Amino acid sequence: MKNKIKIRHFAFAAIAASLAIVPALLQAGLVDSPAVFFLGKCIAFSIAAIGIDLIWGFTGILSLGHGLYFALGGYAMAMHLKMNATGGNITEFMHTGGLTRLPLIWRPFLSPILTAVLIFAIPAALSGLVGGFIFKKRVKGVYFSIISQALTWAAYSMFIALSPYTNGNIGITDIKSIFGAVRGAANYMNLFKIFYASLAALVLVYIMASFLVERKFGKILAAIRDAENRTYFSGYQASRYKSFIYVLSAAIAAAGGAVFVNFNGSITPSQMTISYSITMVVWVAIGGRGTIIGAVIGAFLINLCEYNLSSGSMVDIWQYIIGAMFCIAILFFKGGIAGLFSAQIPELARRFRAGREEESEAG
Amino acid sequence: MVQLVNAAFNGLSLSSIILLTSLGLAITFGLMKVINMAHGEFVMIGAYMTYITQQLFLAALPKASMSLYYFAAIPAAFLAAFALGCLTEKLIISRLYGREIDSLLATGGLSLVLQQAARSIFGSQGVNVEAPDFLKGGISAFGCTFSYNRIFILILVSATLLAIWILIYKTKFGSHMRAVMQNRPMAQCMGINSRRVDNITFGIGSGLAGLAGCSVALLGSVDSTAGQSYIVNSFMAVVLGGVGKIAGTVVGSAIIGFSGIAVESFTSSSIAKAIVLIIIIVFLQRKPQGLFTIRSRSLDE
Amino acid sequence: MKPAEKDIALKISSISASFDGFYALTDVSVEVERNTSRFFIGPNGAGKTTLLDIICAKTKPSAGTVAFFPKSGPMARLTGMKERQIASMGIGRKFQVPSVFASLTVFDNMLLSLKGHKGIWDSIFRPLSAHDEEKIEAGLERADLSDKKGSSAGSLAHGQKQRLEIAMLLVQEPELILLDEPTAGMGKRETEETGEMLAQIKKSCTVIAVEHDMDFIKQAADMVTVLHEGKVLVEGSVLEVLADKAVQAVYLGRGGDY
Repeated sequence: MKNKIKIRHFAFAAIAASLAIVPALLQAGLVDSPAVFFLGKCIAFSIAAIGIDLIWGFTGILSLGHGLYFALGGYAMAMHLKMNATGGNITEFMHTGGLTRLPLIWRPFLSPILTAVLIFAIPAALSGLVGGFIFKKRVKGVYFSIISQALTWAAYSMFIALSPYTNGNIGITDIKSIFGAVRGAANYMNLFKIFYASLAALVLVYIMASFLVERKFGKILAAIRDAENRTYFSGYQASRYKSFIYVLSAAIAAAGGAVFVNFNGSITPSQMTISYSITMVVWVAIGGRGTIIGAVIGAFLINLCEYNLSSGSMVDIWQYIIGAMFCIAILFFKGGIAGLFSAQIPELARRFRAGREEESEAG
Repeated sequence: MVQLVNAAFNGLSLSSIILLTSLGLAITFGLMKVINMAHGEFVMIGAYMTYITQQLFLAALPKASMSLYYFAAIPAAFLAAFALGCLTEKLIISRLYGREIDSLLATGGLSLVLQQAARSIFGSQGVNVEAPDFLKGGISAFGCTFSYNRIFILILVSATLLAIWILIYKTKFGSHMRAVMQNRPMAQCMGINSRRVDNITFGIGSGLAGLAGCSVALLGSVDSTAGQSYIVNSFMAVVLGGVGKIAGTVVGSAIIGFSGIAVESFTSSSIAKAIVLIIIIVFLQRKPQGLFTIRSRSLDE
Repeated sequence: MKPAEKDIALKISSISASFDGFYALTDVSVEVERNTSRFFIGPNGAGKTTLLDIICAKTKPSAGTVAFFPKSGPMARLTGMKERQIASMGIGRKFQVPSVFASLTVFDNMLLSLKGHKGIWDSIFRPLSAHDEEKIEAGLERADLSDKKGSSAGSLAHGQKQRLEIAMLLVQEPELILLDEPTAGMGKRETEETGEMLAQIKKSCTVIAVEHDMDFIKQAADMVTVLHEGKVLVEGSVLEVLADKAVQAVYLGRGGDY
């Protein structure tokens, strides 16, 4: 048991270390800068995936709304960066939408401190409001999923409809990172700064999530997943635990979104769709639910495959592959990739050792 | 007065569209407790089947008999979705009974695949289905116009409801279906092949989605996301009405439809949709079991 | 209205419960004395499990109250309280189907059942004390599960799960425990052992049980209440109840397999 936990952390350390040398590889000319931007987005995705793993993998609550929280974090960051770009003036799309002054909801994003607070506060407040009531009423399982899906859809419609404030379908574009421009060889320093800051955020989220699930708290989450009614009779206010983990995972997803826009240079409502929320669950399912490391592996692996396959003729086939992989993972490999490593490979190793012993006995 | 009649008709029409797309869910989700995230894609398949039938008629038959395509499209849409539904049940859902969330996710994966399939076959641009001649235009009364295709959808949804009622309460298969849904082990003991009943019930639910697709094809262009725009309202209609009661779904659809039209008179239609959804979410937070609830010990589990 | 001569632990007053117009319980009143065992028996559908559900707030009654008199502290009205509040009053519940946390280890199952510290903050930051660990070890020892403490609860055999669930109840240090068919699915020897365990538990705790096994009832019950069609038919010691004509009519007359 202890040993397995160590291997997980070791795997994460290896991933983090290989990411840490990416900027050096760029300077040595071994990778190109799009690859660095792409890996930065992967860091953002794996942060969000950790949030999903906490709520779905550990607690068994399927939220189809984490795309919404990811996008809310992304929008908050993008609005701040847009304000940096315009120097606090109103934007092109606001003009087009008939606004003459900066709308009130944009004002707080002039301040970097308020932005940092709002990136977390908005998703946390929304998820707390929704989760607090719903979990208290003991809405469970698929009912919660359906409600979270409806919420996501409602928010998506709103963001598109309120285009003078959100730029509708196009979203907020043409933004730089929090450290300034990052495109082009002249701005490598800024790119490295934001890359390392994001990596630090991933490490921090990973450590926090691992700490939580290894405490008694994590066991209570698993208990809720196994037999929620029983937890009440054991004296736990399970609804409070569920709300807590839901808010936390929403805030983590929002952090992922905030990191994402720095590399993507834009945020659109398409990150807010139900399909996108399901895609994020796919990462965790294939990587391995309930392990934290599985979420990170899944987010990187699937996006890496997509990055390499979805250029050229493979673009169509890729969607089939990912859909099929997802179904197969759900049907036959509940543990995903991490499960394969933690269950199947030790089993092989055991057999291998047993085989060797037999050999040595024979010899 | 004219406005009121108009609004009432629009509300009725919107409700009937929501109901048509929800009826299949009322069966697969309401009765079987299976969440089929690909339900919207089955609607989309019905819509594309209508398009294909139209193209075939265009290619093979003289222009005069073109309008008849719609009579072929209805069964074609139903059967295509029915067949795919049976296949989905066999390959995915039957392996995941009792694991509701996993079957939701697996069908979510299926929905991604089907959307991509639609894009690779028909392109990402929407295709347009031309309404048959007899559904073009409308009748005028009370100073407003009631378009034929909206009236047609109303008739179609009423006929479908009647058919479902007959199927469930008046046929042998219906009694087997109710037996399996209420008490599976007992039904099995009485010699009912419950796996086959599951399979066909799911197929019928999916087929109804195809049927809905056939009629939504008349309302606008069809593309790979056609299903997504209906699925959320459909799920909400079923949950709002109270899962397990088809009459509840009728009421749920009506509430969503009429309140959507009512809110729309104050604001744009997409904001109206969002507001209605939010109101329903708030309502479900107070009364999570929906409008029509059955209180019994078994449901408390 | 504190009872004078008898030391009452639980007082059920005029409880009725209905589901969809069907009355599962009608005007049921029972008093249970402290540190005794009270068994509810009766044919299927008599309302026994519903009564347990009402005591621990899993089900809301349509009328009536349940009052609990803790050893120390004032009387508490259980009707209207939440499950976890009732659990923290020192009332534990064992379900008919063994209900353990399948993916957790046996040790962790016990850890989550320990009395006190049920809040989020404690669950994150409070370390496991040596005293807690001793309690868990002792509980596992008693339930004969010490060698299983590292295995997942889902992998246990049926009888082991039953024992684990009872051990989880006891480590909560309850004053009152509710057992729904504690011997269901057990063999003769296991049943007897459970009976002996109950006798031990009774020294510090009041026991309310629903049971079908007559031999077990004879071994373990101090008092028996017969429920029939949601009403109290007879109340008394095992022998009194078995001798009762009305009981024989509804119970034994039904086919006599009891």
